[in-house]
Amino acid sequence: MKPAWQLLRDDAPSPIREAQLAVNRRQFFGKSATGLGIAALSGLLGRESGAAPHHPARAKRVIYLFQNGGPTHVDLFDYKPELTRLHGQPVPKEYLGGKRFSTMTGDPSGKLMLQPVEPFHQHGSSGAWVSELMPHLGAVADDLCFVKSLHTDAVNHAPAISFMLSGAQLPGRPALGAWLNYGLGSPNEDLPGYVVMTSVSKGTTCGQIFYDFYWGSGFLPSRFQGSKFRGSRDPVLYLSNPEGISAPLRRGMLDDLAELNQAKFATSGDPEILTRIAQYELAYRMQSSVPELTDLSSEPEHVLEMYGPQVREPGTFAYNCLMARRLVERGVPFVQCMHAGWDQHNSLTTELYTQCRDTDQPSAALIKDLKMRGLLDETLVIWGGEFGRTPFIQGNLENRPRWGRDHHPYAFTVWMAGGGVKPGISYGASDDLGFNAVDRPVHVHDFQATILHLLGIDHERLTYRFQGRYFRLTDVHGHVVRDLLA
Amino acid sequence: MRHPRTIALLLFLTTAAASAAPGRSPDFTRDILPILSDHCFQCHGPDARNGRKGDLRLDDETDAKRERADGHRVIAAGSPEASELWARLSTDDPEERMPPAKLSRELTTAQRDLIRRWLEDGARWGKHWAFAPVTRPESGDGSRHPIDTLIERRLTGEGIAPNPLADRETLVRRLSLDLTGLPPTPEDTKMFLLDSSPGAWERLVDRTLRKPSFGERMAWDWLEAARYADSNGYQGDNERTMWPWRDWVVKAFNENLPYDQFTIWQLAGDLLPEASREQVLATAFNRNHMINGEGGRIAEENRVDYVMDMTETMGTVWLGLTLNCCRCHDHKFDPLTQKEYYQFTAFFNQTPVTGSGGSPQTAPVQDWSSPELDARLARETEAFHAVTKELEQLEARSWPPGTEALKALSGPALAALAKKPGSRSREDWTTLGVQLGNANPDWARVQGRWTTQRDARDGANSAIPRVMVMEDLKTLRATHLLDHGLYDQPRDEVKAGVPAALPPLADGETANRLALAKWLVRRDHPLTARVTVNRIWQMFFGVGLVKTAEDFGLQSEPPPQPEVLDWLAAELMDSGWNLKGLIRTIVTSETYRRSSVIASVEIHERDPENRLLARGARFRLPSWMIRDQALAASGLLRPLNGGPAVNGYQPPGVWEEATFGNKKYSLSSGEDLHRRSLYTFWRRIVGPTLFFDSAKRQVCQVKPLRTNTPMHALTVLNDVTYVEAARALAQRILLTEPTDGARFALAADLLWARSVTPGETAIWQRALDRAGAMFAADITAAEQLLAQGTSPRDPTLDPRQHAVWTTLCLTLLNLDETLTKE
Repeated sequence: MKPAWQLLRDDAPSPIREAQLAVNRRQFFGKSATGLGIAALSGLLGRESGAAPHHPARAKRVIYLFQNGGPTHVDLFDYKPELTRLHGQPVPKEYLGGKRFSTMTGDPSGKLMLQPVEPFHQHGSSGAWVSELMPHLGAVADDLCFVKSLHTDAVNHAPAISFMLSGAQLPGRPALGAWLNYGLGSPNEDLPGYVVMTSVSKGTTCGQIFYDFYWGSGFLPSRFQGSKFRGSRDPVLYLSNPEGISAPLRRGMLDDLAELNQAKFATSGDPEILTRIAQYELAYRMQSSVPELTDLSSEPEHVLEMYGPQVREPGTFAYNCLMARRLVERGVPFVQCMHAGWDQHNSLTTELYTQCRDTDQPSAALIKDLKMRGLLDETLVIWGGEFGRTPFIQGNLENRPRWGRDHHPYAFTVWMAGGGVKPGISYGASDDLGFNAVDRPVHVHDFQATILHLLGIDHERLTYRFQGRYFRLTDVHGHVVRDLLA
Repeated sequence: MRHPRTIALLLFLTTAAASAAPGRSPDFTRDILPILSDHCFQCHGPDARNGRKGDLRLDDETDAKRERADGHRVIAAGSPEASELWARLSTDDPEERMPPAKLSRELTTAQRDLIRRWLEDGARWGKHWAFAPVTRPESGDGSRHPIDTLIERRLTGEGIAPNPLADRETLVRRLSLDLTGLPPTPEDTKMFLLDSSPGAWERLVDRTLRKPSFGERMAWDWLEAARYADSNGYQGDNERTMWPWRDWVVKAFNENLPYDQFTIWQLAGDLLPEASREQVLATAFNRNHMINGEGGRIAEENRVDYVMDMTETMGTVWLGLTLNCCRCHDHKFDPLTQKEYYQFTAFFNQTPVTGSGGSPQTAPVQDWSSPELDARLARETEAFHAVTKELEQLEARSWPPGTEALKALSGPALAALAKKPGSRSREDWTTLGVQLGNANPDWARVQGRWTTQRDARDGANSAIPRVMVMEDLKTLRATHLLDHGLYDQPRDEVKAGVPAALPPLADGETANRLALAKWLVRRDHPLTARVTVNRIWQMFFGVGLVKTAEDFGLQSEPPPQPEVLDWLAAELMDSGWNLKGLIRTIVTSETYRRSSVIASVEIHERDPENRLLARGARFRLPSWMIRDQALAASGLLRPLNGGPAVNGYQPPGVWEEATFGNKKYSLSSGEDLHRRSLYTFWRRIVGPTLFFDSAKRQVCQVKPLRTNTPMHALTVLNDVTYVEAARALAQRILLTEPTDGARFALAADLLWARSVTPGETAIWQRALDRAGAMFAADITAAEQLLAQGTSPRDPTLDPRQHAVWTTLCLTLLNLDETLTKE
């Protein structure tokens, strides 16, 4: 079976075509209407295994460790000794000439440079510079591929996050995970193909909201949207059958539902009904797959320890990282772990430490864990936020406890690991103060094109027709950064 | 990919500018302004301070057309060749070309072509459509419904034939769900289906509009916009008593309070001359914002947050503008300056609230007591005074001055005894308890009664709802522009006022909230009526005439049926802001009554979201309505209106987990479990779990979410709410009808107001047989299933049969048709 995008690529999706597909699949699986069960309906999800990509894929799964708020590149991974040398001095004039700065900050002249809050050290044979704030990531630096010349178009959180994840600043476009769900399907038919988990460090003042459109399906059928797992002991509420309804009875009820809903679709033509049928089937399968997923009793103690002390606490970043590994291990192709609170306008010397403590060890553990299991080769791990932070101070230099940095879209750092990227390299560079991406700049659309490429997808060919136009993740832009590919 | 030019043209044809087809002159407002806003305003727009380039404003006609220093013009009317704008758009020189490539805002060929034609035609300027006054479009000779005339004018232009009307069974359910949030009763359905005389539909509409459930249905969306909740939010999340305001909203909708009054009362009822209690209560609208009670928070910072929230909520609900952009800078797209934002805040900056404490009853409050509660407080207070007197007399009698008994007491005890009972501290009571209590058992007894009675009085006092309302300080607070929106970075002082791009405040009026509210409902205000009718339309059609219900600014999507929006806005205002009248007008159109069947693939492809309205709306019901429908169909629903919120079914531990054990969930009992969803307690930091896709009730939200996930399926399949409803529905059916055939018919009538088809009942019969075999073998399972939910079960029903029908009813409650408004 071809994945949904291939079936629909040359022709617009339409309810009638979907109906034909449904019928064809039913015949294909040789089921009568009454036996319309798991196998046939899974076809409606467009998540058949063995999908044929445009070219051989280097990565089959993605774990996106999205760091909401704009992690400060100059304090974490983008080492700029010049910042220390010029600490407390006004931004040098030569950095202002002809360059654009954050409109949030306004006129940057006269702003004072701020040194990194902690020292940097070189790590591993790659010699990557990493701040002392991130010791565990420093230790796995040889597995990481840093991109230090990323730049974006947006300066505020929600538009910038939306831009990073969906290629557009306004809500309404499909998120990366939804595109992949649509384009590649999922080999796991018992769990959603696109799972989202969120976390916030305890005790931080972060007020950022996780908007649903960060994992929305936009104009793609809503079955491709991310499924958000709750940050608590029951990741999914209402998972168990009511007492007195046995598994066979429930199966029978769902068969009835599917058949009655199919009949409704035949008369109303609303494609949303097909999504509903598919979601009910998926719900049924999740009733056994989710308890198995979250049962950590099979995890050896040394693995749990590797993720750090918060790993047993649902809703923490550490727990979500472990869950991400368990999800990709089960074939779920796209997992998005979002951690909020990187918005250090006045908390570089306070909350930044909490953020790093809560995310450093689990992120590094995830890399090691995937590697030990032989999963890293085909799993692309991405760490990064929506923009960086200004090399100059926000706040008063005398008042160290309230040091901060403002949003900075013109240069920031992300790292990737596994999944066909070169390990132990650092690609591109910002200038020597971390202001602008100067060496081999990578735009967000380039970054997205590269991710799709690693998954075997030509970003110009994964399209969906909507309102008379073919849309794609990268809009009309984006170039694959080939030097990142292993 | 198709050829880019084709793509651009397709986009252009189907969305914004279908009416600017070749031959017709591009319209500035509809065709040109959206392009300029989207591609140019970032650097050449209203924001003066941050990033304006080349001393050029393309949002301002005078500046865009003026002669530049070297004699050239950016826009030379009538001549693209003489216009720098065209030169910059069309050049191949990357240094010259606009917009700069690095901004990724390149124009399509079709967009450039539009600009060129507009320049050729004289570059006529205009206002963004939403800022232009509402004029009533010509809508035919009155022989047809004006909405239909306008909708079909566009459809005809597109060569699209609208769907026929839906059948009457579909319509009676559609209307009932839309106007009351409940399915029609079998009696409603029967009365309508039997009425074949002209005007039957209008009579049904009028009957439905008179139901008290109308106000409850309308209130839900208003509560979401008003960010109403029963707790403060943030850590702590203390309970508040704002429900009298919620009940007022229901009443106002039911009594059809004109929307201009509805507006004035809520924004400024307290400032009306001789304001009534109700008018003051209405102002609780403004106080529904979250309250931050965290220790260590700076009070002024909280207070400023509240003022901004009130301002921005007003901005979204009435103006349809995203004011929050202007906290930090001039708006990037809309004609709103940062200064104007703070002028708006000045209206709301005048309450005595200081931002400290975080009490959910922060003054100004309105006691919203009842005679019973008042009487209880009076009774308990009187009893308290009596026992106080008794205690004082006993103490005076037992420990008179100068006696040995008195001298035996320690210094602290003497000091405590000298105080009036009401002034004694906890330590005082401990000391006295040891020394007096041991010596005199009578004292211990009376003192015990005194304590009990004091608590009873306090309890009676705090049981009186105190609703947070509005009031202005006698001496006005100075309002400043805040740099970056930071409370401690005040800049220039600003006076209350409205943006220059909108009509002015009325002459001679004090610029206070009352003036602001009256300004919003001026006949020449371009936004309020448009924004309001759009939200009403959205309730019934799933999508507004303007898709971005929260944003009517320059970045909003130009409405594909703008004349309908303007006609309805004019109608609302000219009818004296008659909301029920407006709704009646909408639902009596054929456009509202069209079948929702997707009959044509071609039309569906051209207009997948049905923005041209060739067919009726078909979308999943809001989750609260799915619950109310299940309760109503099963007969469980208890029509108890108003009062304190109740705690419905919820999985254990959800509050406890979210609040680190501070908030314990205690399930309500009896009829309270079966009240309408509107009365469910809304804890702000963790809303009721069975409502999916709901507004978060944290800040103003006016656009519904509608997703389709396996989590929703699990909720309706497994939540005890629906299992119990299925059991009750089964019982109702079994007790009412003697045969399976009649029972099937009743189920269909209760759930969908329609008759059954043989095809579906064959499947239902199979379902009964399958479940019958399973429960025959396992009576325990049947009893377990029937034990769900707290409502009593008729014990005369055979448990096996009841369980079998319960499973069928649960299946029916989960059908797409049940979850969806057809």
